[in-house]
Amino acid sequence: MAGQYFEYQFFIEMLILTSSIFMHLVRKNSSIVVLYMVQSFLVVLLLVLSSIHRLSAALLAVIVLTFLVKVVIAPVFFFGLIKKNRLKFSVSTYLNVPVTLVVLTALVAVAHSHFFTSFTAIITRGPDTLFLCIASILISFFLIINRKGALSQMIGVLSLENSIVAFASMAGLEQTPGLQLGIVFDILVWTVIAVVFVSMIYRQYGSLDVTAMRHLKE
Amino acid sequence: MLFIVLLTAPLGAAVASLFVRKSTAVLEWLTLLASAVYLTAASGITYAVVVRGTSGEGADFSADALVAILIMIIAVVGSAAAWYSTGYLREEVRKQIIGFSRIKQYYILFNLFLMVMFLAVITTSPIIMWIAIEGTTLSTAFLISFYNKPSAMEAAWKYLIINSVGLLLGLFGTLLFFIPLLRSGDSNGLITWQMLLDSAGTGNPLIAKVAFLFLLTGYGTKMGLAPMHTWLPDAHSKAPVPVSSLLSGVLLNVAFFGILRFKAVTDRAVGQAFADNLLMFFGLFSVVVAAFIIFIQKNYKRLLAYSSIEHMGIMALGFGFGGAGPFAALLQMIYHALAKSVLFFSAGNILLKYSSTKTDKVRGVISALPVSGTVFLIGFVVIAGIPPSGIFLTEVSIFSAGILSSPVVAVAALFAVVLVAVGFLRIVASLLFGKKPDSLPGGEAGLRTIIPMIAVLSILICFGFFIPGPLRSLIRAAAGGR
Repeated sequence: MAGQYFEYQFFIEMLILTSSIFMHLVRKNSSIVVLYMVQSFLVVLLLVLSSIHRLSAALLAVIVLTFLVKVVIAPVFFFGLIKKNRLKFSVSTYLNVPVTLVVLTALVAVAHSHFFTSFTAIITRGPDTLFLCIASILISFFLIINRKGALSQMIGVLSLENSIVAFASMAGLEQTPGLQLGIVFDILVWTVIAVVFVSMIYRQYGSLDVTAMRHLKE
Repeated sequence: MLFIVLLTAPLGAAVASLFVRKSTAVLEWLTLLASAVYLTAASGITYAVVVRGTSGEGADFSADALVAILIMIIAVVGSAAAWYSTGYLREEVRKQIIGFSRIKQYYILFNLFLMVMFLAVITTSPIIMWIAIEGTTLSTAFLISFYNKPSAMEAAWKYLIINSVGLLLGLFGTLLFFIPLLRSGDSNGLITWQMLLDSAGTGNPLIAKVAFLFLLTGYGTKMGLAPMHTWLPDAHSKAPVPVSSLLSGVLLNVAFFGILRFKAVTDRAVGQAFADNLLMFFGLFSVVVAAFIIFIQKNYKRLLAYSSIEHMGIMALGFGFGGAGPFAALLQMIYHALAKSVLFFSAGNILLKYSSTKTDKVRGVISALPVSGTVFLIGFVVIAGIPPSGIFLTEVSIFSAGILSSPVVAVAALFAVVLVAVGFLRIVASLLFGKKPDSLPGGEAGLRTIIPMIAVLSILICFGFFIPGPLRSLIRAAAGGR
């Protein structure tokens, strides 16, 4: 039973990492939102697995709220934003696709490097899963840096948060349900504020490309 | 009970402000009433800490010497900023820069901002502290974009994204610190600072090092340490002046508080040298970066923002150097919070008069605004560490400690500090002296924009010459128990 649990965890984390990588490759705003939805759903699945493994009913409230916030509410906001401002294609990057792929490969290698080897002490079974989590964290971080679109940057931040939640779940570092609810609520407020800002930026600049913001250059 | 009052006073004012219709005076009185209440509660908690060493409420809130210093800084600067806001915003309404809905939004967010800062320091839980510090980002984002100008929006977006990423890295580091506790099964509920300290020696030292690195990057971003400081000058220069004073004088210290708490845990886990070296590195980098940019600065609000980066760097150096450094760094934290709010308030009065933050468009402040100009000059003397200011003594103590422990770093930082003072002096001289434009009428905006400034300046001058015994013992305890 425990062996199966770790296998499921590994498989889900593989999919989370894959979604992070694909976020770099897609060009449509709607595609990156769909990928975020899928990634969030996978994180919810991880939490469900963890709640079954730990026989914790209290985690169910966290799972329901996480599902509502990340898989339903946030994507609804994002799709609304895309539809309202007709933002079908406004995704652009600083690095082209081949160079981006090279950087992604390097980041996966860094996740397996000496710097993070001490993390194998965290769990005795499935340390590879933890490396996948770290790779996902690094790749999400790179998404924020490499994207010029405000919407993509916002999803990069949320993807980074998903990766950290996945890491915490893998490493058994989950907090009390009350604190987890607090964090999810925080993410909800963050999403609302960021969506409002993205709308304001679009109204002001007629684009979500952050390189168009040059008023602070002094 | 005092801890609950400390949180509910600003929260209550924010909630009550939601229901106010068309009366700016009611909004102002709600905020002022809240400021009187939280100032009283903060004083009560501090008194209890001075008498008993600690103060607490259940398992959720507690205060030691460091917390007492922080809540007094938040309460004093917060109250002064609240008073100053009433005059400053009225003047902006008179100039038709903002309307009632903006003022209402301002007071709601202003009070929420104070509430989450109080929560960040009094909570016993590192995760709640993280949530509260993230709350400071969320509550201030709309205050930074307050004037709805493209540059303000740009600054707010930068602030939101950079700080959120930084804080997520901070969360990652926090979770890594929890590993020994969760592994040993000692914790079934809320993890507190004390539990973290107690378990610090039982974990993997390498993980503790990686965790502190992430934490320093995360909270260091919020604190404005270079090279993660890029959001700070933009945000601090675009926000309304009273908010800038809180961002610069208070919020940076709250972020530093988070770093110091985790530093204590890291010191126990891997020894003091690791965290000290990192603080020295980031501290020196911050001072040097700020020094060069201050030298070429052409905007006096940005100048003050870069000065905050410099001072955060000096405080980080103080803790990194050890010896007398931590005591002096904590004293510098107090001086800097007071001096920076004085400088921002007087800069606000200059902005109201000249309608520009560009240094080449402002001349003859002393003749146009005699009180604000003089206060700005005194504020400059203090912040630049010119004798006989208190900051001169704290910086001498910090660099003396540095000469003993890391002479190269101390000398390099000292050169940068001198460069800052020269750059600052150049700008201050051009702002304050010279001939004011003939078309500009002289005279201050009103008492509401002067009294809070004078009040904070009085405290600053008093503390510069005389540190009361209880404050001295608080700083000593906070520096020793780091």
